[in-house]
Formats: sequence, C-alpha cells, structure tokens
Amino acid sequence: MPGRRAAPPIDHTLCRRCQVTEPAITVRTEPLCAGCFSKYVPTKIVKRMESFRVRHSDPGNERVLLLPLSFGSCSTALLHVLSQQLKGQAEKTGRTGFKLHVLHVDSSDAMAESSLLGKVQERYPEHTFSSCPLSDVLAVDGVRELFQADSSNSEPLNDDGSSRELTLEKLFASLTSPTSRGDILQILLRKLVVNCAKRESCEAILWGHSTTRLAERTLAETAKGRGSSLPWIVADGELLHGVPFYYPMRDLLSKEIASFTSFLEPPLDDVIATEAVKPAVSTKNTTIDDLMKQYFESVEQEYPSIVANVVKTTAKLRATPLHEVETQCELCDVPLDGQAPERSRLCYGCIRTLPQFAG
Amino acid sequence: MPPHLCQLCNTARAQVLRPKNHARICANCFIATFERETAETITSSNLFQPGERIAIGASGGKDSTVLASVLKTLNERHGWGLDLVLLSIDEGITGYRDHSLDAVKRNSVEYDLPLKIVSYEELYGWSMDQVVAQVGKKGNCTYCGVFRRQALDRGAAMLGVAHVVTGHNADDVAETVLMNLLRGDLPRLSRATSIVTSTPRAGQPKASLDGQPAAVSFTNVKRSKPLMYAYEKEIVLYAHHKKLDYFSTECIYSPEAFRGSARTLIKNLERIRPESILDVVRSGVDMAKLVPDADGNCKGACGSRKATEIEVKHDGEEEEEAGGGGCGSGNGQETGGEMAEMEKKLLQDDRAEEEGTETHISMPVKAVNGQRHDGDEKVGPPAAALVGEANGQGHDRHKHPPMSTATTVPIRTKQEKKAGRRSGRDAPPPRQVLGQCERCGYLSSQAVCKACMLLEGLNKARPRTGIEVGSAGG
Repeated sequence: MPGRRAAPPIDHTLCRRCQVTEPAITVRTEPLCAGCFSKYVPTKIVKRMESFRVRHSDPGNERVLLLPLSFGSCSTALLHVLSQQLKGQAEKTGRTGFKLHVLHVDSSDAMAESSLLGKVQERYPEHTFSSCPLSDVLAVDGVRELFQADSSNSEPLNDDGSSRELTLEKLFASLTSPTSRGDILQILLRKLVVNCAKRESCEAILWGHSTTRLAERTLAETAKGRGSSLPWIVADGELLHGVPFYYPMRDLLSKEIASFTSFLEPPLDDVIATEAVKPAVSTKNTTIDDLMKQYFESVEQEYPSIVANVVKTTAKLRATPLHEVETQCELCDVPLDGQAPERSRLCYGCIRTLPQFAG
Repeated sequence: MPPHLCQLCNTARAQVLRPKNHARICANCFIATFERETAETITSSNLFQPGERIAIGASGGKDSTVLASVLKTLNERHGWGLDLVLLSIDEGITGYRDHSLDAVKRNSVEYDLPLKIVSYEELYGWSMDQVVAQVGKKGNCTYCGVFRRQALDRGAAMLGVAHVVTGHNADDVAETVLMNLLRGDLPRLSRATSIVTSTPRAGQPKASLDGQPAAVSFTNVKRSKPLMYAYEKEIVLYAHHKKLDYFSTECIYSPEAFRGSARTLIKNLERIRPESILDVVRSGVDMAKLVPDADGNCKGACGSRKATEIEVKHDGEEEEEAGGGGCGSGNGQETGGEMAEMEKKLLQDDRAEEEGTETHISMPVKAVNGQRHDGDEKVGPPAAALVGEANGQGHDRHKHPPMSTATTVPIRTKQEKKAGRRSGRDAPPPRQVLGQCERCGYLSSQAVCKACMLLEGLNKARPRTGIEVGSAGG
C-alpha cells in the first residue's frame, strides 16, 4: 500500500480540516469551520475553470466569458468567487485568464432589479455589466417568425420595445399550462443569453447551476419528454446552442452555496434577490420544474451524494456529435433526427409545450 | 353543466377522460380504443410470430389480468393463432399471493387458458414468508425480484414456451426510467424502455428443421411487455368496464425505496401533466440511444430508429421491474434502507477519491495491455489499444470479446479492486459479459448467479432445522 501515512487521531468536535476551530457546517458528513468551508467552495469552482487559466490565455487577446446573473444565490456566489479568482490571478501574474461580462435579463420587477444591479456593479466594478429585457429575444433571428408562423392575425412587424413586450405577453398568455410557460421562459432566456454572448464575442457562458439544480433539470427535462437533450444540459463545454456552456458550480449543492453566501464578509445578502417562497399546495399551478425542485430540495437534505450521482450519471450519456446532426429544433436546438415527426420544425418536447405552433 | 358526449361516437355519454390526450369518450369506445392501441403496439413492434406459444406472466393483479383478457380478445379477433397459457409464480406470501392465485385460477377457467404455477418453495426450497422470517422485511424485495426472474424463465421452460409476456404498464416503465436515473444505473436505464428484453440466446432459437421448436432451455426465454404504452389508470378502467376479476391488494412486504420515491414522483407528475408519463417513457427511449456501450455504442448516431426501438435488449440475471409478478408497489413511505445505503456507498467512494486512496484508475486496463504487448516497446500500438479499450470496446460490440473478459478478471490486488470500483463510476458503464452460473446453469455475469448467492446466504443461516451451523451451507 503506497503512500498511506498513519493519520493523527481526529478530534470530532473540531473542524475536520484545520482541527482548530469549531465546525460551523457539515459538508457531506465532514464537519467544517466557516473558514475552511469558505475555502472549500471556491476550490470546487476554480477547479472547474481549468480551461480558462492564465497560462491558457493569449496576452494580446483577452478571453471574455459571459456570466448570466439572476441575483439568485448561485449566480451571485459564482460572480463573487470568480471575482476573487481574477483578483488573485492579477496579483500573482499581473494578468488574468479571462474577463467577465455580466448579463442580467430583466423580468417583471425591473425597478428592484436595476437597483440590485447597481449594487452588484458597485461591489465588483472590474467587470462589464449589461442588462436587457426578456422581450429582446423577439429580436433574435428567427424567434418572432417561429411564434408568428401559426397565428393567422400576424401583426405588422413593428419592432420596438413595447410592441415586443406585448407580443411576449400574448405568447405567454396563449400557453395552456404553467409547466409550458415555465418551459418556454427557460428556453427564451437561454436563447437571449446565447445571443448576447455572440454579440459581445464571449467565448463561453458560465451558468450558476449547482449540482442540485442540474439534477432537477435532468429529471424535469425527462418528464417533459426532452430526454434526448440531457447530454447537452449537464455537459461542460458543449456548444449545441452555438456558444459553449460551462457549469463551474456543478460540484456544489444548493444548500452549500446558500451557506457560503451567508458566511461571507461583508455578506452577499443585499445583492441577492430573495426568492418568493411558493407554497406547495395547489398542484394546479405547480410546474414540473417546481415539482423537481421540491423533490431534490428534500433529497439534498438526507442524500446529497445521490443528487450528485444523478448529475454524474447523466453526464455519461453520449451526445450525438454535432457535425452528424442535420436538423435542429428551431426552438430549443436539440437535434431532430429521429426525435420528431417528419418535417417537423420542433422536437417532441417543444411540440408538447407548444402544440398550437407545431407545424 | 351538460354531460359530455363521447368524442368518438357522439352518441353515448363520455365516461372516460383519457390521460394521454384529454379525450372524453364512452366506455365502449374506450374499450375498443384500448384494444386497438394494444394491437398497434404488438403489430408495430412485431412482437409475436403467427402460431407462437406465449406464456402470460399472471399474478392475478389488474395488469396481468387485463393483459390476459386483451391478448385473448385480440388473438381471436385478428386470428393471430397464438397459443396462450398462463404462468404464475407462487412466491409463498400468505395473505397476498394465495388470494391472488385464486383470481388467476378463476381467470384460467373463464378464459379457458391452461395455467401453470411454479413456487419458490419447489424451485429454491424457500418461500418468501420463510425468507422474510430469516432476513426481515428490509431488503427482502431483492430476494423476491431475483428469484422471480429465474422462476418465470424456469416455469416457461417447463411449459416449453420461449416467450413470456408481462403486464408492465407505462407507469411502471416511467417509474423504472426515473428510478434508474436516481440510482445512476445506465445499463438498466437503457433496457427499461425496450419492449422486448431477452436472454442472449433467445435471439437464435435452436429450432429444429421441421419447424418444431427445440426444447426450450430456461436460459433461452424472451420477455416482452405489450402494455408498456398503456396508462395504469386506463388499465384499471379497462378492468372495471370489462368487469374483470382481479385481486387488488398490494404486496404486504416493503417496496424498494428508490422505486417508492420514483413512484411518488410519477404520481405527482401525472397530476401536473397527465401526458408526462408517456413523455418520461419517450425520454427513456431517447436516452437509451445515448447510453454508451450498453449494447453497441452507435444507437443514436447510426441505424434507423425503428431498428433501435424493437432491438432486443440483453437482460441476463436482471432483477425485473415491478408489475407482472406483482411487487414494487408501495407508496414511498419507507425511503430508508436502500437510499441510505447508496448514499453511504457513494460517500465512501467520494472520500476515497479525495484522500487519494484510489489513484490507479486505469490500472486493470493497463495491466492487460502490459501483458499483451509484452516487450513491445513501440509507442504506437499499445497506445492505440489503450484508446480502443478506454472507449469501451467500440469495435467489437457484436460479440463478447475475449478482450473484455480479460479486462474484468485480472488477478486482483486489493488496490486494483478499488480502482475497478472507481472506474465503475467514472468510466462508461461496465459491459456485462454473460456466462452461466456454475451451480444452476442460469445466465450470469459472475461465476455464481445472484439467486445462488442469495440462496447460499439463506441456507448458511438456516440453523432451525436442528443441524449445527458448521455443517450447513451446502
């Protein structure tokens, strides 16, 4: 047995790592103090940023990565950790491996969000920030046509902001179920973010999804008939949508990230939008995404490794190489070969969500 | 609100709201539709050969009773000429199986189908009641599942039948898809949605020249699930409107935790969006094509979709899913044992990985290469061989290559054993190499099949017969 040293006895009342301070949190059965935990989280994230290290960057040609910020604890924590990482790189080497472009997509409560964006910008002034309304997605090539092809009373393409707003509202109103609305919202958001990344010449998009969130998505997409999209949903570096996606938080649980943000000094709380707690009573308004969220929130408490294992397992699914793909779903980009009715522009999952637009 | 009229005949009152498309139809139209759809499933996947002898795995529960009734009806209606028999397994669970077997016996008379009952007691020397008395209520489902799989095959062989149909419905299949995602079992995920599963040699039955099937070996039995696209709700409705005689109590012993958990999810999903059960099945079919090396690694990329869907999946020593035999019910209340156990195992793996006690990930592969290219110092071929094997035997998926046998059975040091475990999680799922159990001759990827292993454990601890512990375990 090479390399096994007799470890000193462990004091179980102290932090497992430093053996100095009392533990503040238990990470997968390992009791850690706030200090060690605050190091643990960034390590997990930085490890996933390997391909963007300083040594891979070309001095004259700065790599820009897009970070979509929702003001949730995950994307905010990601922004914080990466900001720290970049500072460290600048101190050590005088340059950084990449630059961040932070994008926020406004939703309903634009006022509160713009004040949050101001605060975030104040705290991390070194990055580029931008924001845009979700309705801008209608200006993305092909999107408006996709939803208009079917509606007989297609209005003249009056392409200003307020008319887009209206069109989007109508679109959502035409969807029959909360699940479909949530599904389309997610897809449009992704389309818009990808479009921004392309416009800003970003090399990749860094999503704030935790393990828990990825596991949720795995099961939710399965339940929505989108099983064929799974390899792209959890894999790092895949560019189904034209820009590679990365999930640097993929090794952390949602609850760990929440604890991390609460331990920070100064706390991140005032730049995190508190999520409205949805009472889980009426199934009428519950979506499939909500259901999976609730499910993994409870699994995460007792069986965190099972959550992580769902993601690891899904990551083993092998995606069809993109160069072999002939047609893609016009809405969600998933390869259509063999996955959809003949001549359909949409995949099975999108037809389920948008039966009225399936042509 | 006025009563809805049936959307199909527009005359009778609608009594059924179909979960899969929200159609409101009357009882007669529903029965006709259900039968037509089952027939479509059967014909579109070429499930049966004309004149084939088929054993219906009958538990006396709703699924298998509906299956027997529908097959009997369709066989007569379409002149398929199938020779149908009922095959029941008596697990020996008092208060559950004895009652359900009475239902099967009544059905046998009503449908005029011969019935064969095979009991665990006669096959293994243990009834489930005795097993539970021995191992307790936790984990006994493993025994039941492993025993049942073999029992159905052995029963079929006794009847000379090479094809067993089971009553697995869409809910069961969807549940299995979610369950295998939850427990990270890709090989089973890829099998869950195939309508035909089969032991390896079932594909080429050794039929003699005069067309008479050769004696069926119990390692040679094909399985299929004609109701895998039928909603459990509709099966219940069909049984109700056809006034079928079935037994509706669930197994009194505990369900597996993962299945319970998956079942709860499926039920909630159905409430949110009834179509989602078939959508999960659909996702499972699509995902099966993306599972690397389970059955050849180009499912998604090459080959027609049709061929993929009706592809025969190998399925040796598998503990079968729910339905058919009647267990796997439950409500997910007892989520303890199984999930906690898996959590523990995963944690240990994680820790071992972090502490660096598992470093030689590719060790077994390397060792094999070392042997095979002994003295071969050229850089090229060994590296190429390494790549080929790391890809999971991409080039020889049509036979069980000796190479993979070599990779899985090196003389293992303790360290290599760990490495194997590790690579089991990170590498593509291990390829199962099927051989036969050296004790009972059943299909097994190990020297001794799972049932024999379980029996050995049971027999070892059977002291109450008055024999001393030391001499038991033969």
